[in-house]
Amino acid sequence: MAHITFGSLQRVALGALIATFFAGQVWAQQEPAPRELSSQEVDFFESRIRPVLIKDCYGCHSAKSGASKGGLMVDTKDGMLIGGDSGAAIVPGDLDESLLWSAINHEDYNMPPGKMLSQREIADFKQWIEMGAPDPRVVKAANIKSEITPEDIEKGKEFWAFKMPTMPSLPDVAAGSWSDEPIDQFVLAKLEENELKPAVDANAESVLRRLSFDLVGLPPNPQQTAAFKSEYKKDPRAAIEKVVDDLLARKEFGERWGRHWLDLARYAESTGKEVNITFPNAWRYRDYVIDSFNKDKPYDRFVQEQIAGDLLPASSDAQWAESLTATGFLAMGPKTLTEQNGRQFHLDLIDEQVDISSRVVLGVSVACARCHDHKFDPIPQTDYYAMSGIFENTTTHYGTIDTVQNRRPSNLLVLPVADPKLASKKISRKELGQLKEALEKTQEQLVEAQRERRQKRRGMNSQNTKKQDSVGVGRSVLNVARASSKAGALEAKLNSYDSNGMPYTFVMGVQEADAMQETRLLVGGEFNQPGQVVDRGLPQVLCEQPVEIEKRSSGRLELARWMGSDANPLTARVMVNRIWQHMMGHGLVRTPENFGSTGQRPTHPQLLDYLAVKFVEDGWSMKSLIREIAISRTYRTSSQFDQKSFEVDPENELLWRFEPRRLEAEAIRDSILMISGDLQSERPYASIVGRSGDGLVREGSILSVASPGEQKSMGGRGMRRRRGDGGGVKPSVATIDQPSGHRSVYLPVVRDNVARSLDVFDFADANMVVGKRESSNTPDQGLYFLNSKFVIDQSQKFAKKLMQEASEPQQQIRLGILWAYGREATAGEISAAIDFYQEFVVSGQGSRRDSSDEALEKLSALCQGILAGAEFRYLN
Amino acid sequence: MNEQHHFRLPRRQMLKALSSGFGYLAFSSIAAAAAKDRDDSKSINPLAPKNPHFKARAKRVIFLCMRGGPSHLDTFDYKPELIKNHGKTGAFRGSLMKSPWEFRQRGESGLWISDLLPEIGSVADELCLLRGMNTDLPVHPRAITQMHTGNAQFVRPSLGAWTLYGLGTENESMPGFVSVSQPSGASQDIGTAFLPAIYGGTKLGGSGGRSARFRKSPSGTSVADIKNPNLSDQQQRTQLDFIQRLNEEKLRRDKEQPGVEGMIESYELAFRMQSAMPGLMDITDEDQATLDLYGINDNATSSFGRQCLMARRLSESGVRFVEINHTGWDTHFSMNTRFPQQCEQIDKPIAGLLKDLRQRGLLDDTLVVWAGEFGRTPYGQNGNGRDHNNKGYTTWMAGGGVKGGFSHGATDENGHEAVEGKCHIHDWHATILHLLGLDHTQLTYRYAGRDFRLTDVHGNVVKEILS
Repeated sequence: MAHITFGSLQRVALGALIATFFAGQVWAQQEPAPRELSSQEVDFFESRIRPVLIKDCYGCHSAKSGASKGGLMVDTKDGMLIGGDSGAAIVPGDLDESLLWSAINHEDYNMPPGKMLSQREIADFKQWIEMGAPDPRVVKAANIKSEITPEDIEKGKEFWAFKMPTMPSLPDVAAGSWSDEPIDQFVLAKLEENELKPAVDANAESVLRRLSFDLVGLPPNPQQTAAFKSEYKKDPRAAIEKVVDDLLARKEFGERWGRHWLDLARYAESTGKEVNITFPNAWRYRDYVIDSFNKDKPYDRFVQEQIAGDLLPASSDAQWAESLTATGFLAMGPKTLTEQNGRQFHLDLIDEQVDISSRVVLGVSVACARCHDHKFDPIPQTDYYAMSGIFENTTTHYGTIDTVQNRRPSNLLVLPVADPKLASKKISRKELGQLKEALEKTQEQLVEAQRERRQKRRGMNSQNTKKQDSVGVGRSVLNVARASSKAGALEAKLNSYDSNGMPYTFVMGVQEADAMQETRLLVGGEFNQPGQVVDRGLPQVLCEQPVEIEKRSSGRLELARWMGSDANPLTARVMVNRIWQHMMGHGLVRTPENFGSTGQRPTHPQLLDYLAVKFVEDGWSMKSLIREIAISRTYRTSSQFDQKSFEVDPENELLWRFEPRRLEAEAIRDSILMISGDLQSERPYASIVGRSGDGLVREGSILSVASPGEQKSMGGRGMRRRRGDGGGVKPSVATIDQPSGHRSVYLPVVRDNVARSLDVFDFADANMVVGKRESSNTPDQGLYFLNSKFVIDQSQKFAKKLMQEASEPQQQIRLGILWAYGREATAGEISAAIDFYQEFVVSGQGSRRDSSDEALEKLSALCQGILAGAEFRYLN
Repeated sequence: MNEQHHFRLPRRQMLKALSSGFGYLAFSSIAAAAAKDRDDSKSINPLAPKNPHFKARAKRVIFLCMRGGPSHLDTFDYKPELIKNHGKTGAFRGSLMKSPWEFRQRGESGLWISDLLPEIGSVADELCLLRGMNTDLPVHPRAITQMHTGNAQFVRPSLGAWTLYGLGTENESMPGFVSVSQPSGASQDIGTAFLPAIYGGTKLGGSGGRSARFRKSPSGTSVADIKNPNLSDQQQRTQLDFIQRLNEEKLRRDKEQPGVEGMIESYELAFRMQSAMPGLMDITDEDQATLDLYGINDNATSSFGRQCLMARRLSESGVRFVEINHTGWDTHFSMNTRFPQQCEQIDKPIAGLLKDLRQRGLLDDTLVVWAGEFGRTPYGQNGNGRDHNNKGYTTWMAGGGVKGGFSHGATDENGHEAVEGKCHIHDWHATILHLLGLDHTQLTYRYAGRDFRLTDVHGNVVKEILS
């Protein structure tokens, strides 16, 4: 069981408040500077302490016995200082903080189990801890020599991706009149090299549907289609430019493109893993991303905010709040909250941060070098620890409610600008006072329960154990757990209000650690095998000039400024490749997270560099880049199949046609809502998770305690017995996958509990970085379109809408196809629909139903068929 | 692959084809066969049963996929020398660690099996251990992908997809390749790459959160959207005919569009699944003895027990290739507590599956395969864990065509590297295909001007294990 201490509010630099929400123990105790031990100290340890440890503790807490109960190992100095899942076993000089002390006194723990050490032994430990716990059992640090030499790294810089991109000259092409843009010239040159020709231009309807889906994730409506058709006929390029500018200015743009980023950021509103606990404030990051795309925030700045938004200078509180929210990027990862070993948990957290930032931004996997040198790229193990040292000196604030299963709760950050929506959740001073009282009372109960437990345990140890004694101990343990859990929830609640009863606005993110610690390489990535000290730094192969990191800073700001810039060869390339992929179906590098030697080479290296250099020149404007691709001739080529080209280039790497593709889950769902008229275009406040507050995810539901301010009465009685409940906190249950008319980007993203409408069409798995979604084709998708309540209901609404807009079935069919496919119906489609009308037998014929019911039933079934058709799901 | 779809059959004939069993599939294949002479003109739909290359020893496969890399040293690879060498470092990165658990000889064959697997031990005489396994890389995603597709670098069809492509399936109302509790993000493991989409695996029982539902549901598992709440079968058929005409129109316009072809086939399969699936998933017709056999009423074994029972039911119904998944074998630390739990979860269910298949007479022509993506190191890690080891590990097979109570291949004295009877993943694939009556060098698919096969240019059948 986690033993949690509670702290209070504290101020940090620039006035940021860190509320110690469920303040877990900070795992990293400051290690005293190594010094020589005196011979008396060594003697004391060897004669009084070590023998007792061996005799009474090693059995369950040592490498030799292979046991580390509670995550604790006491056979090394580090093991004692790092401690187990409840915290440090020894804090030199501090008896109260040393868990080992309370354990051998049978206070919180009962160690050794079922036995008390002798009075003299206990006195020895007291003396030893008070003298600073001198411990000569220092594991000799290995000095791991990398097999990757500085020469290898220099040589590695010759690899295409590790060289700085330079502006290439435009290639010569024969069919020069075809190309509109530099992009086209690069594409055409490659085609001509292979004796291929680009496809003809696509028709207006296809181009508009592409633009509309690619830029805002929604289909055009019939009016837009008609207008575009006539303009495209006159001047295709002018027509496209106008539409592109309109689409880029719509707020739906950010909802579409922000979601691409959220795939990479493994955005989710819960921890996932065995104990899945919600992140009720994660949605603030989601909104931040969408807004950033909408205001065309320069990508270099956007990257800097992800990595070190908390440290960037801010000209206003609002800007600061924004960039603080951005650091949720580093806090959002899946968490194994059941992890027994605090050090292991922390190392995994850091590893995830190294992994996500390097793969998402740089397109290389630095985390591969955690246990040994990178097998394929010139990234020595020391580079990994240089980078992990940056995150090691960073504190990560992800919240999560304290429950008995949650061994690793953390606190959250308080936004400098309060969320106005929370004002209504203010509680009165009286209520605040009641909360305080309730907490004090519970804390008294806790102290009493602990006293009773101690007594019961002592009693049990002194005589032969009787059955009722052990039952008594069990009950007293349970009482402690209950009181502690209740106190925890109450304290958390209390800490979520300021002194006036106003709820704080929390956000997930990171902060600089208080004092910098040096980082050691870990042999084989194992926390108990430290190697040499590694200075904080950046992957060498990616640095033209070494980047200096100040000793007193974590280096995160330097990392952010280097990543979010053209000082490295990859950031711009990786992002232009991602944007190209979302527009064209495939990236120029088809392994978007791996630009290293095991990744694929770019199909058009010069084009990639052109785009990268241009991107930087244009001030890292994502909208400008999207616009440039959208108005190119290449983008508007037809998707028409060509046997000869296919034989030469089956994967369409040379772009002899526009790659036809299936729409993403969100685009499918959002289109259905738009076509039926049910789409609610405004942004909802928070999400189901945010509105439910802290809670546990179980089988498609969130079991939550009420969100801050929602609880009214303080009575703790009659509560259902459920872990995670605190006193005075109303539990509630919310279904995660519930109907909504909002755009899919606003549906809750709970790890391993994704809404069916998204799951069935390959929604990104939030447990990993997803740069490219899968595009499966399964009978389950068939079942979804044939039978799901959502599709059936929406089809009926679609039918009703068509009946209002047109009276004759034939007109309704034409209009339905126009809405769903963005073009006029073909003769074959019309005749198929007419045949359907003749053959479909409505239910309960001959009974009292009137003809309008029958017509609706038929048209609804037909509309469902139109939506279920392949044409709806594909972009041509 | 590149049959042209510029054809138009009379509507009446088309509808007739649509409403008969294989619906559009039959229609499209008849038409394709008519349009173009095909080598394999006997087969009129891509999922119809096909004759193997030679007499098959197994008709179907149940693949028990152990994700994370289960330790061979604590399950099926007994290493007395490792006990003696315990604590030594030698050439290893860490010090050698003996198995904390006893091994003993089981069954008449006397195979050495860990005490953590007593139930599987009780059916030792069914097992054929492959103790000389090896694979290319000790990293999970790559090794898992290679185990499924033979190739970690490129996207290739999975073993199940190749099997279905080679043999078709015997139950036209069910997918021929089913993966139960497939983890999310692992679609490539059951994917078809360039093979037609209809040969891909269908996920059942969901992953992660949904596998919890799989465990909890009293009657097995529910399949989402398996029934239309409003339409009769006949109405739905009329609706589906309309959808398929739209799709066929699209296919004709687009010429080459594997995605749309796949969708047409998926819809027909989905339509048929509606009648077949609910009964198959409902395990209330199983008697108490059977549920007990699989450990379904026991907390520790309930989840995997249900999966094993589902595997039997699917196989029995004619599904060609069933994969079931068990995760959590990546034991870098705390093996002493976690590893026994892992073993307990699978022990009774797997033994129950083998016994049940035997008593139903199914084991003779069902190949059961147990494998993780790699094994673990003989040296310890984090006190009581083991690291990844691709150089030597154990998998086993049972049933159709393999020797029972048999062990083939060996690792070195400490269990680190395969030294005898080495079996690379390519050999393993070749052997599985061989047992199914397929010659791995002949089972090819032409794509973009090249013949592809599961084993690329590698693979030798492990003849020694054939019964």
